[in-house]
Amino acid sequence: GSAARREGSFSREFSSLLSRGCLSTSRIDMDALEDYVWPRATSELILLPVTGLECVGDRLLAGEGPDVLVYSLDFGGHLQMIKRVQNLLGHYLIHGFRVRPEPNGDLDLEAMVAVFGSKGLRVVKISWGQGHFRELWRSGLWNMSDWIWDARWLEGNIALALGHNSVVLYDPVVGCILQEVPCTDRCTLSSACLIGDAWKELTIVAGAVSNQLLVWYPATALTDNKPVAPDRRISGHVGIIFSMSYLESKGLLATASEDRSVRIWKVGDLRVPGGRVQNIGHCFGHSARVWQVKLLENYLISAGEDCVCLVWSHEGEILQAFRGHQGRGIRAIAAHERQAWVITGGDDSGIRLWHLVGRGYRGLGVSALCFKSRGRPGTLKAVTLAGSWRLLAVTDTGALYLYDVEVKCWEQLLEDKHFQSYCLLEAAPGPEGFGLCAMANGEGCVKVVPINTPTAAVDETLFPGKVHSLSWALRGYEELLLLASGPGGVVACLEISAAPSGKAIFVKERCRYLLPPSKQRWHTCSAFLPPGDFLVCGDRRGSVLLFPSRPGLLKDPGVGGKAGAGAGAPGVGSGSSGGGNAFTGLGPVSTLPSLHGKQGVTSVTCHGGYVYTTGRDGAYYQLFVRDGQLQPVLRQKSCRGMNWLAGLRIVPDGSMVILGFHANEFVVWNPRSHEKLHIVNCGGGHRSWAFSDTEAAMAFAYLKDGDVMLYRALGGCTRPHVILREGLHGREITCVKRVGTITLGPEYGVPSFMQPDDLEPGSEGPDLTDIVITCSEDTTVCVLALPTTTGSAHALTAVCNHISSVRAVAVWGIGTPGGPQDPQPGLTAHVVSAGGRAEMHCFSIMVTPGPQHPKPSRLPRHAPFVPRLDEYWDRQPTDGSLAFWDLTTVLDHDSTVLEPPVDPGLPYRLGTPSLTLQAHSCGINSLHTLPTREGHHLVASGSEDGSLHVFVLAVEMLELEESVGEAGLVPQLRVLEEYSVPCAHAAHVTGLKILSPSIMVSASIDQRLTFWRLGHGEPTFMNSTVFHVPDVADMDCWPVSPEFGHRCALGGQGLEVYNWYD
Amino acid sequence: MGRTSKDKRDVYYRLAKENGWRARSAFKLLQLDKEFQLFQGVTRAVDLCAAPGSWSQVLSQKIGGQGSGHVVAVDLQAMAPLPGVVQIQGDITQLSTAKEIIQHFKGCPADLVVCDGAPDGKYRLSCPQALNIATHVLKPGGCFVAKIFRGRDVTLLYSQLQVFFSSVLCAKPRSSRNSSIEAFAVCQGYDPPEGFIPDLSKPLLDHSYDPDFNQLDGPTRIIVPFVTCGDLSSYDSDRSYPLDLEGGSEYKYTPPTQPPISPPYQEACTLKKKGQLAKEIRPQDCPISRVDTFPRPLAAPQCHTLLAPEVWKCDSQPALTPSPCAFF
Repeated sequence: GSAARREGSFSREFSSLLSRGCLSTSRIDMDALEDYVWPRATSELILLPVTGLECVGDRLLAGEGPDVLVYSLDFGGHLQMIKRVQNLLGHYLIHGFRVRPEPNGDLDLEAMVAVFGSKGLRVVKISWGQGHFRELWRSGLWNMSDWIWDARWLEGNIALALGHNSVVLYDPVVGCILQEVPCTDRCTLSSACLIGDAWKELTIVAGAVSNQLLVWYPATALTDNKPVAPDRRISGHVGIIFSMSYLESKGLLATASEDRSVRIWKVGDLRVPGGRVQNIGHCFGHSARVWQVKLLENYLISAGEDCVCLVWSHEGEILQAFRGHQGRGIRAIAAHERQAWVITGGDDSGIRLWHLVGRGYRGLGVSALCFKSRGRPGTLKAVTLAGSWRLLAVTDTGALYLYDVEVKCWEQLLEDKHFQSYCLLEAAPGPEGFGLCAMANGEGCVKVVPINTPTAAVDETLFPGKVHSLSWALRGYEELLLLASGPGGVVACLEISAAPSGKAIFVKERCRYLLPPSKQRWHTCSAFLPPGDFLVCGDRRGSVLLFPSRPGLLKDPGVGGKAGAGAGAPGVGSGSSGGGNAFTGLGPVSTLPSLHGKQGVTSVTCHGGYVYTTGRDGAYYQLFVRDGQLQPVLRQKSCRGMNWLAGLRIVPDGSMVILGFHANEFVVWNPRSHEKLHIVNCGGGHRSWAFSDTEAAMAFAYLKDGDVMLYRALGGCTRPHVILREGLHGREITCVKRVGTITLGPEYGVPSFMQPDDLEPGSEGPDLTDIVITCSEDTTVCVLALPTTTGSAHALTAVCNHISSVRAVAVWGIGTPGGPQDPQPGLTAHVVSAGGRAEMHCFSIMVTPGPQHPKPSRLPRHAPFVPRLDEYWDRQPTDGSLAFWDLTTVLDHDSTVLEPPVDPGLPYRLGTPSLTLQAHSCGINSLHTLPTREGHHLVASGSEDGSLHVFVLAVEMLELEESVGEAGLVPQLRVLEEYSVPCAHAAHVTGLKILSPSIMVSASIDQRLTFWRLGHGEPTFMNSTVFHVPDVADMDCWPVSPEFGHRCALGGQGLEVYNWYD
Repeated sequence: MGRTSKDKRDVYYRLAKENGWRARSAFKLLQLDKEFQLFQGVTRAVDLCAAPGSWSQVLSQKIGGQGSGHVVAVDLQAMAPLPGVVQIQGDITQLSTAKEIIQHFKGCPADLVVCDGAPDGKYRLSCPQALNIATHVLKPGGCFVAKIFRGRDVTLLYSQLQVFFSSVLCAKPRSSRNSSIEAFAVCQGYDPPEGFIPDLSKPLLDHSYDPDFNQLDGPTRIIVPFVTCGDLSSYDSDRSYPLDLEGGSEYKYTPPTQPPISPPYQEACTLKKKGQLAKEIRPQDCPISRVDTFPRPLAAPQCHTLLAPEVWKCDSQPALTPSPCAFF
């Protein structure tokens, strides 16, 4: 009585009926098939949404398409991926894992896992002791007649809940149905949950499309196949139920629904018929459909389409919210209760591990520092932090106060009536604030105060008018500068030093700088550019400026030469006519005018050979100083809605965090994980605030309601959430282009997680790594490294400049760093990306193998570019015709190099096409050309209607007789041979590549990668492979090496790489 | 992005609003009809997955006006009432729904069944289910039009449809975007195999790939002819058009014809508007307390993000080979 077998015979009965339908289908002669089995593409790597997750002991299983990733979650602070097990579920997607309970077994050594998804089920036995992974056995891939919504081990067999409300008892070793029981109500289900450990007590909770929960008991069936009536129907949700979870110990059931809510039901023991069901929680917190829910002993975890994972108490309060996944939602969740971890898997193919902390975060919080008291008259005007435990504040009476966070008390340091009403206050940078702070007033006076000995404060009158801004610049522990902006764009640079006794400080004016003219002409921030000969400053007008850090620097060839910056005496910058004039001040040696727009630059930071600037335009820049000139490398946008960036810090682990204001919140944002690490509801950035971070603590102080508020996060209390795997793209990939290949010597060998005995012989030789660029609807362009030896993928960098989706990228000018004269290992290329809102970006990339890192590092940068266009442009319109334009008449005749148009931003007019060819009935989705040996061009196109069109195009030069003036040659296009394959694919042909004059490969949304033989009349089918990426939008193929053969990358809702031997 | 932005980017969205259609999909059915004369001689039509009701609007206008025409619209979701359309709020997988449809036609089967339902949510299919109920309500020789997504298994669907209809075509109206994977299966001449008994409780004809007729990856696959509907002069749905269309009247913003009524997310939206969605307990709400020392934080070793790991290469054959009874 196998239902699967029944279905099989059922379909065979009808196959005789199908013959009449075959009249309208395209059939290719079967006899020709034998010859054409080569080349055969095999999947090498896939990046797909993570659709299943399960913790097994200290391992994590993640389902990605039909593959399983195995992670080891070791306690030694070490976390690693062990392996990928390929193709467990054939063409199905994995939706869940069920580990067979082992009463006396140890899951840390081996486990029997049932993997299911769609209509497929397979059991696999794996062993993973001592970091060694072995697949011991796998069953056949069993196909069910219907979708599997849940699976449960009942001793050696498995119970399955199927899509039309039936339960099947299945023998997974032999692969046969032991029993099948339907419900009397054979509605379509959207989810199901099986409860109980034996068939006798098996309970199914089924989520019907009527939004009801049906509870029924398959074992109450009188005979096999006799329908069972539901015991209870539970209503409440107003949308489809997508997921449910039962907690036996507390008798709770949780459901997640399309109506964006999660409900908690008190159900008692569901195995007992007729029990009372009570809805004890109706939790609204998600802003989109809720895909997943999981009940833990003390928590309820839910996640959904809004990319947020919420942690609820059983009472329905939100305890934590995990944000960081990108794109279309979180598809899978798992929990490790002993370690208090939640693991989420996203549609972006990212996997993240989060820490459950219970109620509230200990060691985090905002406290009011109770400044207001009778003994402290005046209102607070400004606040600053000297390190993370000392806070300074100044009042409108000109009094400076110190607050010690450890002692928790205020202390007046000094009072100076000259600093009444207008007073700037900045503490010196450094690990614990250097023990110095500076005040400035409206009369041009600056006061530098040693915090421990305020009586030793030094006053310096610099300007006849108001001091607009103050900033510090620190070089190691050697040099400390204070910059003060006065009227007329003059910046005074003061050198601060301390007496060896520490009791006295010395303030000496070193030089003055002059800012470029603007309405609000003052600087906002400053930093030393290592090694220290230059200062990088930002100003209120949004410009970034480079000043020599000493006046004599430019005149002294010794210093200038040593720094490699005085190249040809860069002279004095553009804006300053009298650059070296001591009265007005030194001009900048390099300026990036209005880089951050009118709202101004907010910070400059130098790190790792780059300069980073932030601005109130919501962007941060990576800059580079070469030959004494500032050059922008990369502009990055921060998280959505955060338009006021206030600063950038490099945190101890080397990653970068962005400080900014998001509406009325202060946010510390990690651009890599897209996570808001800290959120403080401070009221916005217009009030006085200060930020400090040290190993011990992070602190943020601000003024509110006449008091100082202090937010502190003590070190160690915010364990970083771990990204097990970063997401690739949040939305669909629209274009894939291979840039080139870099060769890594053995010294760069990618570390293998497996022991060397697992290395295959024959994998020696140069380690080739392909560099591929992908772009996506999520507005980013991503650079990937795909080593040929390991089948792994590494994300090198992402460029997020586009305001709308990125639709296409083109790559040209591929070379090596150092140019052809002095080639160095690595790769350089120019990239242009085009996207929505008619936006195009051009940048260069450089990929070099880094000596410290065993993997390539990157240097993306903007560069002026000269695009080289091919002579003939093809357009892919939506009416099915191909048009060819002669660009030589538009561009300069003798040159294929296009000079930038006189009016930048305006493209050339193409005029009328020189040839238009109606190739398809509707839109063309792919196009490729290949020059042939005879000097012709082989052109192939693929369309939305699934057809292919291949033709040979000849370019003939005709002498134009009637031409006025000089008689010229006019190229004419002529089609020599033309073939069409009407039903090549069942959907849009979105990828097409002519590999050689005799082989072509096509990829379509019907998920087939098909090889075609060319050159003998009609293209003939060779073979076809089913791939896993849905909605494939682009394909690129390239030859790697004679030993390795070809590689092919398919991009769509995910990325897949295939290879085949030539 | 103002409210006119979508009008510029999507000319059919805009035309639908201006012509009083509830959704732009109305043009798809109109263009399909132009090509296939779907409504010729049709008096009883069923619209499955009808909400928001634009296809029912077209049906009632095209055949309801003929006096004897009847249109029944079925959806799980509530839909605003439409003149000349009988609405059933029910599940197309239930026999009771099929009976109710026939009841509205006074016991007669339907001439035309249409379904514009998208495979919703995560994993669900609508076309096979629509076909299943159509086998209950469609008269022999009747016509069935359903939206399909041409994904991996569309050839399986074609083979299913060819069992029941003498002519199966894949059509794409010009108002459907090139970038969309949707298309419409136009099945004419309902002719169920002899002895076929409709049964809603079974997933209908769950076809699997066939080594002879419909191969998974071989050259023999059932791919039905593809037809593009709508003439070239109709608007291109992938293009942006200026607000003032050539030859049209002056642009005036039109609000959507019929916003959805009581969608599942209504309560969530109301709560969000009132700011009553549950919020997480923020650290600033609780005072600083003692800091516990945590175990050493986990760290993933990374210089560059590893997106995909090495592949497990099976060095030994599985001990047990799969038993043959799984493959028929």
